Amino acid sequence: MAVQPGTNRTLVWFIVLVAFVVLLALASIFTGGQRISGVAPIGVTAIGLILVFGVYLLTAENDAWAVGTREVVYMAIGAALYGVFNWIFNTIPMPSVSQVALRPSVCIPIFFGYVFGPVVGFFTGAVGNILGDFLTGWGVFPAWDIGNGLMGMVPGLVLLFINKRRSLNFLTIVVAVLILLTAGLIFINPEVVGPWTGEIESFQLWAWIFMVGGAVVIASRFVLERFSVDLAAVNLWGTLGIIVGIGFASIADIWINGYSLATAIIGEFAPAAGPNIVNSMILTPILLAAYEAVQARTGR
Amino acid sequence: MLIAWRYRDRDTIIQRLDPRARIIFMLAMLFSIVQFWDLRIMLVFLGIAFLQYGLARLTWQETRRVWILVSILILVMTTLTFITGRGGVQYAYHEEHVITQLGPLSLPVVGWQVALTVTAEKTIFAISQLVRMYAITTMAITIPYTVDPSLYGVTFRGLGLPDKFAYAMDLAFRFVPTLGRDFSITLDAQRARGYEVEKLSGGLIAQIRKLAPLLVPVTINAIVGAEDIIDAMDLRAFGVGPRTWVHRLTYHARDKLLIAISVLVFTGSTVLSFLGVGNLWVPQALLRLAGG
Repeated sequence: MAVQPGTNRTLVWFIVLVAFVVLLALASIFTGGQRISGVAPIGVTAIGLILVFGVYLLTAENDAWAVGTREVVYMAIGAALYGVFNWIFNTIPMPSVSQVALRPSVCIPIFFGYVFGPVVGFFTGAVGNILGDFLTGWGVFPAWDIGNGLMGMVPGLVLLFINKRRSLNFLTIVVAVLILLTAGLIFINPEVVGPWTGEIESFQLWAWIFMVGGAVVIASRFVLERFSVDLAAVNLWGTLGIIVGIGFASIADIWINGYSLATAIIGEFAPAAGPNIVNSMILTPILLAAYEAVQARTGR
Repeated sequence: MLIAWRYRDRDTIIQRLDPRARIIFMLAMLFSIVQFWDLRIMLVFLGIAFLQYGLARLTWQETRRVWILVSILILVMTTLTFITGRGGVQYAYHEEHVITQLGPLSLPVVGWQVALTVTAEKTIFAISQLVRMYAITTMAITIPYTVDPSLYGVTFRGLGLPDKFAYAMDLAFRFVPTLGRDFSITLDAQRARGYEVEKLSGGLIAQIRKLAPLLVPVTINAIVGAEDIIDAMDLRAFGVGPRTWVHRLTYHARDKLLIAISVLVFTGSTVLSFLGVGNLWVPQALLRLAGG
């Protein structure tokens, strides 16, 4: 079987990244972990990229990753829409409800990822964010651009499954396993240094909170599924995308800007992810319904 | 609604540089800055960032709004870290010299005790963080004002992005004014029907839902219009062979020099960081204040 040149290049980059992380780990071991702290951000970025590459390599044969003319045009339109909406909804005076900002543009990368695949979703989020920042004059912040890209890419992973119901089953298992693992880890070692106080504290309560939260997510899957599989899938994959994307950007800022974990969560993750999830859960299904209606009418 | 790019042709030293060299420089600076906590080194990077900003001849008038927003954000985040930072900054310092203790205050209703211990390390860490964030921001802000939007596609192609992605980037920049105009037409059409985006009423869900009449028509219209573009591109055999670009970028001696400096700064920073240089520096004056 002939090996595609693109596959070779991907493999080479993957090996380079793995070698880089191994070197970092060795350096960390030989220096007692003291001198490695300065290059930790690069290591974390490399590990993040390896994870993305890992998902891609495992599913490289899937059509979800194919990039043809259609995908190129949708990438461009998605990015332009996200950039323009980001700029417009930052410019025109909008009311805000309590602490929840009206940020309707967030549904664009999620919708484009969910409908046209992970590559289109990633490009829409990442380049759209760059475009929006260019229009407002904010500059370029790579961690947030990648974070926005992940927000679009994760919902696109739904296309890796034969059908959306299977993707929901997979998601339910992932959520359950992650919650149980996290809760289990906390129960095994409940006393750690508190991010707020710096004192040794018990985090057992958080294990219960995680388990209740996980149960709510799994229950909402079955409730939403009773109305429509698409409604459940777009909301759950969209929410996961927002958590992964904003989570990546917020955690990257711990190393980039030197925030404490508490600052990253209180100051960045919660105010950004919360409103985004609310906006996305309301607007993306409306957009999806409109798209399906047009698709049914035009047959394309 | 007219969408205007922040870019303006200024014929400055910065704008004469190849955009690829400038992106490499920005990334090298970013990855170098994040390797240090020493305020003195941070100030050097801040100086380089302001030098770039000055050479780009950006005026306060055109960047004022961004500076105000960025400053609010930086101050809020720095204050938050200062208040909550003990557990989060353990990698920057391990010993603290107390200057003063504020509180404890008892919060009403919940009865929690809140106290703020101001230490020399915490204070200098907050200042270093402030300078670091301003250095990164100043470095990043200059880009949208000084890189021609029509060059992004070819720039990223030159940096190794595959043809299709670089073309999609180019196309995205070209779509922006068209989509801005489409949004404007939709907004006017909805306003003619009595829709007022400034006066959305109802609860949270109702208000978000009421934005759909703006968002959905523009998005769906763009997707429907995309089919014609796809057909036109397919008919011209898009993606069959390597692309050529209208704009051609060529590295000059000054660009190569900038790339060499970028590589040197990044390598030097990494080596220094490995050698343990550039950790948090606490001035003696602050330690004396803490009685240490």
